Amino acid sequence: MTTLDLQPKAQHTDSDDAIRVDHFIRGRVITGGAVHYYSRDLGVEFATPEILLDELVTPRSELPPLLDVPTEEIIDFLVACGERLVLEDNVYLQEALEHIVATNPLPRRVVENLFRVARNRLTKEALWCSVETSFANPLALDGWVERVDFAGQHGALRAFPSRMIHMMAGNSPTGCISSIADGALVKAINVFKMPSSDPFTCVAMLRTMAEVDPDHPVVRSMSAVYWRGGDERIERTLYRPQYFDKIVAWGGGDAINNVIKYLGPGLQLVSFDPKTSISMIGPEGFESGAVIEEVAEAAATDVTVFNQEACLASRFIFVEGEREGIEKFCARLQERLGVDRQTASEVAHPLPVDTREEITMLQVMDDDCMVWGKPDGRGLVLLTSDPVEFHPSSKTANVVHVASLDDAVRFVNVATQTIGMYPPERKSAMRDRLASAGAQRVVRLGGAATHVAGGAHDAMFPLQHFVHWMSDEDA
Amino acid sequence: MGGAVERLTKLVRSEDRFAIPYSELRQAQAEAMNERFEERGDRIKLLAFRAKEAGTTEIRGREDMVPLLFPHTAYKSYPESFLSEQKWDRLGKWLGTVSPYPICDIETSEVKDIDDWIDRLSAKGHYVSCTSGTTGKSAMLIAADRDMEWSRVDTVGVFSWGSGVEPERDRRMFGVAPIADVPKNVTIRDAQLAAFGDPRFAPFRLPVPPITVGQLTNMVVLRKAIVDGTARPDEIAQFEATSKERAETLERAYVISAESLVAARANKLFISGMWNALHQVATLVREMGYGAKDFHPDNCIYVGGGLKRAQLPPDYQEFVHETFNIPANRKFQNYSMQELNSGMPRCQKGGRYHVPPWMVPFVLNEDGDELLPHDGGEIEGRAAFFDLALDGRWGGVITGDKISLDVNPCLCGNAGPSIRDDIMRYADLDGDDKIGCAGTVDAYVRGLS
Repeated sequence: MTTLDLQPKAQHTDSDDAIRVDHFIRGRVITGGAVHYYSRDLGVEFATPEILLDELVTPRSELPPLLDVPTEEIIDFLVACGERLVLEDNVYLQEALEHIVATNPLPRRVVENLFRVARNRLTKEALWCSVETSFANPLALDGWVERVDFAGQHGALRAFPSRMIHMMAGNSPTGCISSIADGALVKAINVFKMPSSDPFTCVAMLRTMAEVDPDHPVVRSMSAVYWRGGDERIERTLYRPQYFDKIVAWGGGDAINNVIKYLGPGLQLVSFDPKTSISMIGPEGFESGAVIEEVAEAAATDVTVFNQEACLASRFIFVEGEREGIEKFCARLQERLGVDRQTASEVAHPLPVDTREEITMLQVMDDDCMVWGKPDGRGLVLLTSDPVEFHPSSKTANVVHVASLDDAVRFVNVATQTIGMYPPERKSAMRDRLASAGAQRVVRLGGAATHVAGGAHDAMFPLQHFVHWMSDEDA
Repeated sequence: MGGAVERLTKLVRSEDRFAIPYSELRQAQAEAMNERFEERGDRIKLLAFRAKEAGTTEIRGREDMVPLLFPHTAYKSYPESFLSEQKWDRLGKWLGTVSPYPICDIETSEVKDIDDWIDRLSAKGHYVSCTSGTTGKSAMLIAADRDMEWSRVDTVGVFSWGSGVEPERDRRMFGVAPIADVPKNVTIRDAQLAAFGDPRFAPFRLPVPPITVGQLTNMVVLRKAIVDGTARPDEIAQFEATSKERAETLERAYVISAESLVAARANKLFISGMWNALHQVATLVREMGYGAKDFHPDNCIYVGGGLKRAQLPPDYQEFVHETFNIPANRKFQNYSMQELNSGMPRCQKGGRYHVPPWMVPFVLNEDGDELLPHDGGEIEGRAAFFDLALDGRWGGVITGDKISLDVNPCLCGNAGPSIRDDIMRYADLDGDDKIGCAGTVDAYVRGLS
């Protein structure tokens, strides 16, 4: 859906209908509705307090508040905060939920479900796992780690906290919980720039933390604000190496191009690039009605994540095998796409007009394209022999019939994130070629949204990039 | 052609064509749209598909037409691989879904490139134009002989009405914009020359090699190859070198244009171009030390197209008008688009674009699927039109523009519908604040110049 933004710049108005967005500055909640905006996705008006730029920057003369807090204590605090993330008891989350459903395309029930499982990210095991897979010696987070090189020279290393701006993604409301946890684990000074489709959850989360302990150094290391992405007055001023070391950004296109302008010596970009995910199914998947049933359900699980708003949601399904079984699979897949799930609703938003136009054209040209369903957000399957050129969205799967899955590798590129594979045994035969083509993750079909804890994200271990490696040397 | 279509299109030669109140047009326009639907309903495949989906069997009023209007993106709905992999028969088949006339069989095995293919189509009476693909995919628009004939008449009428310049063949013609060498543009240029050009002078045309559809779509093809990961570094370097060369040729051509204009300053001129080119040439003329005082006091100017995202100073129009001494009553603006075949000239007195009787205006909601209620006065929304004059493709188009349409009389005294001079593109209005982790490989293709 396109949204007309009548006022692309911030506006000072007195409208009372606007949803109030609070800011959070190092432990303090800032209220006020002086500046009005419209959300990007649904065009909803909201009002934020004025941003006082000086408050967002911690002078380098001040040591980071978390510097001397042991990782163990930080993790205990995060776990205590996680325990408060119970939607039924947490007024901040309840309030955020009410607002998000107005500004975000995700259906209410999906957001509720996301809030219900959010606490799983803040368990002791998960947090330690992420620290231990990222750092060869996690003690470097808590102090100076002595080392001796091959020539017997002594030195010490510390993963020193950095100063970061996180440009948050708008498609997953609880994504901010991981960002907050990451920022805390590396003890950074963090400014979270919230997205217009959800300028609420991050502050709700931080307020929950402040309730646990308003003076905790984790709380004093966090600020969350909204400004319209690309606002020069703010970005030209803030994005300087004197104030920040890293900009952590999600997405591509204008969102990244705005940031790139300000990069230079001393100011680094850690980017989580925009991604497309796919599936690959071998002939084994179409051998019997029972297998087709199982494979269609697994494929539908991967396609529908966040109503296909997520990067790990599959969009293209490359299939090898007998036509008859494949067509049965397509029919069944279409039915399974229309099912209400934990992170997907029965009906997603209808497809954009230009995409609908291309789909119509595929049908009108009466080619070998076969279609199950309609572009109405209830699930659509297009069976073709080449991938379609538009971006399948709103629960749309393009099933591409190839002679061999080996032929599908050429459609894997630098934007390919997750590849769901059936049967899973095919993974090991293909993973090197998939990586060489640019892919980042290969999983069992149906497992796109489940993770082995502590794994890489976007072909890197982000926490390693979030620290300032300081070296003390006696050579 | 049915009776109502004929009655309305015949008005192209009427002096008072913009004076007919909308209330008097409404019924005739509905009848005419129905005639078009009856003639074309089965012949244009895409239309037949849409009519079936919507269950439309008859057009009784504008509401019935809304589901049958083609979004302007319909003309971009071909897969780009048809271009990049030179699948001419497939592209031909695609054109066949939007054309009321069957695309004759063309031997495609020996087609050299897209320009060659388009030439072969032209020889069979299918005229293919395409929009520049600098910001994305090119629209491919097919037209028929009658559309070329119509353009010839309409372009002269539109300019004459909007600028007050009579077609008296008394002007020295200057075309200073790099214009794509597509049938519609060539037809318009020739028609203007025949109507306004002083036969004593050869017309001046910007001295650059013809810009062909092949050139316009080159970038699209290369972009696709980059996306697929098949573009070789040499190809990219070659493309960039060619672009640079073309840009230099264009710079030199602007200098020659400026010098030629200065040399012809005593003559009564008809200057045509797009704002960006006109502004550059005007700047050069000023730098040479010439301006309003040096040029003929009855010059006129024909501007085609919008700004196309060119960055110009806010006073660019005044600057161009002043440079060439264009009198206030000769300032001309026209609202139209490649997807339609008729123009809507701006009046001098009211400063509004006037919709001719053979163009049925629609103001839709932003999504373009609902007609907004319009009981009088001015309303704002997404513009759509049905151009009853269009023959070689369907006349109903939903545009990318946001307009304000008024059905009350304009200040200039004309009673027909008119559009306020503040048209915006929805694409330019959209914010750029969207951040998400999902995206395509398009974000990984660095810009080509």
